Amino acid sequence: MATDAAQATGAPVSDEQFRAEIRGWLHDALTGPFAEAVGTGGEGREHEAHELRREWERHLGRAGWIGLGWPTEYGGRPATLAQQVIYHEEYARAGAPGRLGHMSEQLLGPTLLAFGTPEQKARFLPGITSGEDIWCQGYSEPDAGSDLAGVRTRAERRGDSYVITGQKVWTSLAHLADWCFVLCRTDPDSTRHAGLSYLLVPMDQPGVTVRPITQLTGTSEFNEVFFDGAVAAVEHRVGAEGEGWKVAMGTLGFERGVSTLGQQIGFRRRLDAVIARAHENGAWQEPALRDRLVEAYIGLEVMRHSAVRLLASAGAGLSGLEASISKLQWATWNRSLGELAVDVEGAGALLTGPGYELDDAQTHFLFSRANTIYGGSNEIQRNIIAERLLGLPR
Amino acid sequence: MTEASAGPPPVAEALPPEAAEEVAQVRASVAEVLDEQADLRRTHELMVGAQGHDPRLHELLTAELGLLGLVVPEHLGGLGLDVSAATAVIEELGARLVPGALATSLTAILAARALGPSAEPLLARVVAEQLTLASALAEDGAGWDLGQTATRATGTGDEWALTGTKTLVAGVEAARVVLVTARDGDGELGVHAVDLAADGVDVRTHMTLDQTRRLSTVHLREAAATRVDAPGGEGARVLLDHVRAMLALESAAAARACLDRTVEYLKVREQFGRPIGSFQALKHRCADLAVAVAGARATADHLVTTLRTGAATRSHDAALAKLVCTDTLMTVAAEAIQLHGGIGFTFEHDAHLFFKRGKSAQLLAGSPAAVRAEVAALAGL
Repeated sequence: MATDAAQATGAPVSDEQFRAEIRGWLHDALTGPFAEAVGTGGEGREHEAHELRREWERHLGRAGWIGLGWPTEYGGRPATLAQQVIYHEEYARAGAPGRLGHMSEQLLGPTLLAFGTPEQKARFLPGITSGEDIWCQGYSEPDAGSDLAGVRTRAERRGDSYVITGQKVWTSLAHLADWCFVLCRTDPDSTRHAGLSYLLVPMDQPGVTVRPITQLTGTSEFNEVFFDGAVAAVEHRVGAEGEGWKVAMGTLGFERGVSTLGQQIGFRRRLDAVIARAHENGAWQEPALRDRLVEAYIGLEVMRHSAVRLLASAGAGLSGLEASISKLQWATWNRSLGELAVDVEGAGALLTGPGYELDDAQTHFLFSRANTIYGGSNEIQRNIIAERLLGLPR
Repeated sequence: MTEASAGPPPVAEALPPEAAEEVAQVRASVAEVLDEQADLRRTHELMVGAQGHDPRLHELLTAELGLLGLVVPEHLGGLGLDVSAATAVIEELGARLVPGALATSLTAILAARALGPSAEPLLARVVAEQLTLASALAEDGAGWDLGQTATRATGTGDEWALTGTKTLVAGVEAARVVLVTARDGDGELGVHAVDLAADGVDVRTHMTLDQTRRLSTVHLREAAATRVDAPGGEGARVLLDHVRAMLALESAAAARACLDRTVEYLKVREQFGRPIGSFQALKHRCADLAVAVAGARATADHLVTTLRTGAATRSHDAALAKLVCTDTLMTVAAEAIQLHGGIGFTFEHDAHLFFKRGKSAQLLAGSPAAVRAEVAALAGL
C-alpha cells in the first residue's frame, strides 16, 4: 500500500521541515498566481473557477505535491504518514482550492497501486501525479444507490474492448473529467456482487453523454453519465473480470485516514466563522444558540481525538468499519453546523442574490444535506456498524 | 482558541513499550480480580447493605496488590508506574460499577502527584500507612464552583485548622484522609489534608440515587489539617480536574460495558420468531451508541495522554472529557433500559445500575450546563 511504500523508502526531511516547505509553497502560490483560487471549489462550490483550478492541479503536480507516499517511479514523493497528515492540514489551513483531482488521487490512485498491473500503473499514475488527468467515479446508478451491488450498466466484451451501455448518476466532475473508473456488469447472467468488473473509460468519446444535475442549491456538482456504446480497452480493466466488486470496495475509505485531520481543519474554520458571526450579531447571547455552538465545538474535538487515536493505532489508513464511524460522525456534525449557521444568521439568511447566489451560511445549510447521503448514507453506515462491528444479526 | 491541528501524537507522548507492558499487566491483574470478586451480582448485594461496598475487596486490592502505591514515585516508597497505570485501574473499576473508595483514592493520589513537591509528604504517608484518600470540593449552594468555596483555613506553614461543610463527597466513608479545598485569611484557595479520625471531623454518609456510589457530608470544625499544594498555585483546580477525569474514565468504560451487554441481549432475545437485534430500528440505535462510545473512548484516551504528559490543556481536556463521557454513559444506559424492554425496568436487572451511575457521573463535579460553559471559556470560544 502507498503508505507502506513511503515508510519503507524513509522520508528525507523532518516533519518540521516538511511543514515549513508545504506551508511556504502554499503561501507563495496562493498570494501569487492563484490568489483568486483561495476558498473556491469547496463543498457546494464545485462549480467555481474551473479553469484556474485545473491549472492549480498542474501547479501542484509540477511541485510534487500529488501522490505523497507513492513510489517515485510514478511521480510520487516519499512522505511518512505523519507528513501526509501535515500536508492535508496545511492545505486546509491555507484555504487552498477544492481539489479537482481528489478522486484521482484518493480513490483511483490507491486502487491502482493495490490492484493495477505494472502497465496500468505506468500508464495512469503519472497522469494523476502531474495533475494532468482528472478522473470521475462511475459507481452509483438510478437503481443502485445505497444498494450498489444492483449495478446494471453492462459491459460486453468484443475482442480487445468492452462496449458499455447504461447510466451512472451522482458523478461529480464528469463534465470536466478525462477518464471515469466505472463499475459495470461484464457477466449478463450474474446478479449482485458477482459478475462486476472495474473499467477505466475515456470520457471524450462519442458513446459518452454527460448531463448536469441541478441540486437543491441551484448549482450543479453532480451529473448523470450515459454510456451508449462507449468503449474501454480490455487492458484497462483493473483486477480480473468479475472481480470488480472486490476492487471497488478494496480501497473505499482507505485514504480517508490521512485527509481526515485536514478536513477537520476546514470544519474548524467554518465553526470559527459561525462563532465569530454569533459574537458579531449577538446570537452568542442567546443561551440556546450558544449551547449548540459549544456542542458543535465539543463534537469537533471528539472527532479530532477519534482521528488521532485511529491514526496512531492504524498506521496505514482506516479499516472500512472505522471509516463508517468517522463518516457518520462528520456527516452528521457538518449537517448540524449548516443548520446552526443559518440559525445564527436569523431571518437575514432568507435573502439571496438576484440569481439565487448563496452566501457561506446558506451554501453550508443546503449542501450539507448531501453529506449524510453520499458516500454511503447514514443509514448504510449504521447497518455496517451494527452488523460488522457489533455483530448484530442480519 | 486551542490549535485545531494535531496529527498523530509525537513519539515523545507515546508510552515506551516496557511501560506500556507494565500498564497492561496491572490492568489485566485488576480485571481478573474484579471479574472474580466484583461482578454486578455482588454489587447488587453490597449496594443495599450498610457499608455499600466490600471492605475485603478493598483490602485485597490495596494491601495485597499494592494499588495505592502504583503511581507514587519510587523515592516516596511507591512503584513509580506511569499515570496510565492508575487510570487503567479506574477504568476497570468503572466498567464494572464497583462500589467503594479505590477509584476516588487513586484520583486523589494522581492529583497529589500532579501537585509536585508540596504533596510528597502526603504521598509518602499513603504508601507507608496504606492511606485511602478521598477528595472534598463541593459545598451547599456553591456546588463545584471553586470561586465560591467558603470553607475557611486558618493557620500557617504546616499547621492549619479547617472549618466548613463539604457535601456530596464520594468514597470518604472508606477513607482515612480527605483532601479538602479551603480558603485562607487572604482569600487564597488551597488544598488541605484532613485525617478523618481527627477532632472536629464529622462524616454523615447518605443513601444515594446511584446506589453504587455513596455520598457523604463532611462537617469540619477547627479540624487539624496540613496543606498539600504550594501557595500561589492552582491546587484546587488540579484536584477538580482529576475528579472530573475520574468520572470521565469511569463513564467511558461503563458506557462500553453497558452497550456490550445490551448488544449481547439483542442477539439472543427473540420476538416475532427472530432475534430482536435483527430489527433495523434497534440496530441503528445501537450503531449510534457505538459511535458515541467510540468518541467517548477517544476523548478519554486523549485526557489520559494530557494527564501523563502534564500538558497545559488539562482543565479544558478534563472538562470536555467529563462532559462527553458522562453524557455518553447516560445516553447508552437510558437506551439499554429501553432496548431490554420490561426486564430492563426490574430492580434485579443491571441496566438501572448503569443508568443511575450515568446520572451521578453527569451531576457530580459540575452539571453539564456548568461544565459546558467552562469548556467554552477555556476554549476561548
